[in-house]
Amino acid sequence: MVTAGITAVDVRRSFGGVHAVRGVTLAAPVGAVTGLVGPNGAGKTTLLLMLASLLAPDGGSIRIADVDPVADPAAARSRLGWMPDALGAWPSLTVRETLAITARLYDLDRTAAARRAEELMDEVGLRDLADAHARVLSRGQKQRLGLARALVHDPSVLLLDEPASGLDPQARIDLRGLLRRFAAAGKTVLISSHILAELEEVVDDAVFLVDGATVSAERVAEAAGRSRTWRVRVAGADAKAAVLQVADALGLDVARVPVDRRDILIPFASEDDAARGLRALVTAGVAIAEFSAATGLLEHTFLDLGSSDGARS
Amino acid sequence: MNAARLWAVARLELLQRVRTVSWYVLLGVFALLLVGVTVLSFLAFGGMASTGDQRGAGIYSTIVVVTLLLVVLVSPTLSGNSLNGDRDAATLAPVQVTLARTSEILLGKVLAAWITGLAFAAVAAPFLVIATFAGGVDPVVVLVSLVVLVAEIGIIAAIGVGLSGILARPLFSVASTYLVVSALVFGTLIAFGLGGTALSSEATTTYRGMQYNADGSPQCSDGSTDCWNDPERMVCGEPEQSTYNVPRFDRVWWVLAANPFVILADATPAEYDRQGYPVDLFGQITAGVRGSQIAPDLDTRYDDCAAVQPDAGLTPAEIRDATVPSWFVGLAVQLLIAGALLFGAWSRTKTPARALPPGTRIA
Repeated sequence: MVTAGITAVDVRRSFGGVHAVRGVTLAAPVGAVTGLVGPNGAGKTTLLLMLASLLAPDGGSIRIADVDPVADPAAARSRLGWMPDALGAWPSLTVRETLAITARLYDLDRTAAARRAEELMDEVGLRDLADAHARVLSRGQKQRLGLARALVHDPSVLLLDEPASGLDPQARIDLRGLLRRFAAAGKTVLISSHILAELEEVVDDAVFLVDGATVSAERVAEAAGRSRTWRVRVAGADAKAAVLQVADALGLDVARVPVDRRDILIPFASEDDAARGLRALVTAGVAIAEFSAATGLLEHTFLDLGSSDGARS
Repeated sequence: MNAARLWAVARLELLQRVRTVSWYVLLGVFALLLVGVTVLSFLAFGGMASTGDQRGAGIYSTIVVVTLLLVVLVSPTLSGNSLNGDRDAATLAPVQVTLARTSEILLGKVLAAWITGLAFAAVAAPFLVIATFAGGVDPVVVLVSLVVLVAEIGIIAAIGVGLSGILARPLFSVASTYLVVSALVFGTLIAFGLGGTALSSEATTTYRGMQYNADGSPQCSDGSTDCWNDPERMVCGEPEQSTYNVPRFDRVWWVLAANPFVILADATPAEYDRQGYPVDLFGQITAGVRGSQIAPDLDTRYDDCAAVQPDAGLTPAEIRDATVPSWFVGLAVQLLIAGALLFGAWSRTKTPARALPPGTRIA
């Protein structure tokens, strides 16, 4: 049985006349990384604040590891780690002190707090900056500190609001590894991000949030199922020279096949179609060097949801 | 309520403060001011013959009063932005999401601001020790005045933290803290002065003068020229009556009860010299405040033709014995204000938040 690490049912929250979150239903399962995707202003941060027990929803119900954060915030807080998008670090505290004091706020005793701070600095790669004051940290380093702070009490549910922005490529790979390890250890991760390509590599599943409401699975499937563009590159040939042979192999009108720099862009209705197309190209003897979706599935779905939403309103 | 978490919140605040240079500059300026005050009060009280053997008391009390004054002036900036400033810097929510309860966060902040204010008292400590060497300082006075000083610093810290939780903008809450503290320090004085004058009563004074000869000697009924101080033989004029308004400070004296300086002076046991006059600043403030409790005489009579009466005026020591202390009422009022503000801050800061102060976000 898969138990849900985070469940939300019809969660709503408005600020004055602004309905920031108007109907979110989601389940982030244990042992998986779930992405939270949506345009700016979709209500991602508001939703995460409610999940983090800081904001009370106007309606609906939330369970964090089977605890209602509204009814019993203390129990929920002992189980959840939250990394905010706004990186507030105490400017004149060192990395070590920040983590040790945070651990004290989670009821670790003095020695346990000090030990935990050392572990976390190794885990997020801040060992060399242990005695640096937070004000001298770069944005990416502060982000790692924020992540370490969220992990201080070894939570079973991790809520991350835009954790990857500002991280360098190595740090992103580290973050990905950390989140995968976290999920593999049977914990729950909910991560929001704008960098969809990044998200795609780490999430098991994604929840789409548009205008404060989660998008139904059917609509997501529909959007994901719509025709996508693949990039095709032929080895040793200019795209303009190769386009004819590719179009021939796929039975397309060469005049209607666009070219983008070195790549030829081919729309396929589904992944199955794409696979058939690749087979046809290889059979026709075209020297395929690259054959990949031009946009990630998340990005594709996201863009499609955004545009269909735009068309509706 | 968990002491470890409360202290962790306070430590967060204190660690940051002790690492800012401006904080030490402020303490240094404060120490310099106290050097000046100590030197001047040695000159002022050292020259008083009547209190020669008790001049330490005067110097000591002056330093305590000046310390309270400076703490009153500085404290609002130390606590007046503690919650909303953290919210602006996005460092409040990371604490709120831990196991620290709202009450622990609030009281931790109060404790930190309190300890910070006490640093000023600590800077004043060497000067207080010097004052006691000058002699005449009663240990009970030292104990009580320091307890009141410490309590006042704490109350101002709590007012600042409370307002910083209620108001969204740090600048506005610091200004409001100053306003509340000024209302206690200066507002009570102004209300006392204006109120007492506005509620003035009409008093009559009756004066009967004696008659004088052209050369300035008193006219005597028996024709002699020397009847000074002998009402029997004086020639007296008609009594003259005049009316005027007297301010009724006895009706508004209680307004001063909540003044921090009045609380400090009123709570401290006053020391008097042999003539019944106060030897220190506490006693002088007390004399003024307690004296205002006594209703003015609305029907005064001056009669030159009466035998000279012994002076019926009361000495400050007698006034103090004849009137009621008010410091505990004032302290209770201040505690009530601080408590109400902290409660307001608590309900605005507690999470999961329902209503947010306008113009703020959680993180």
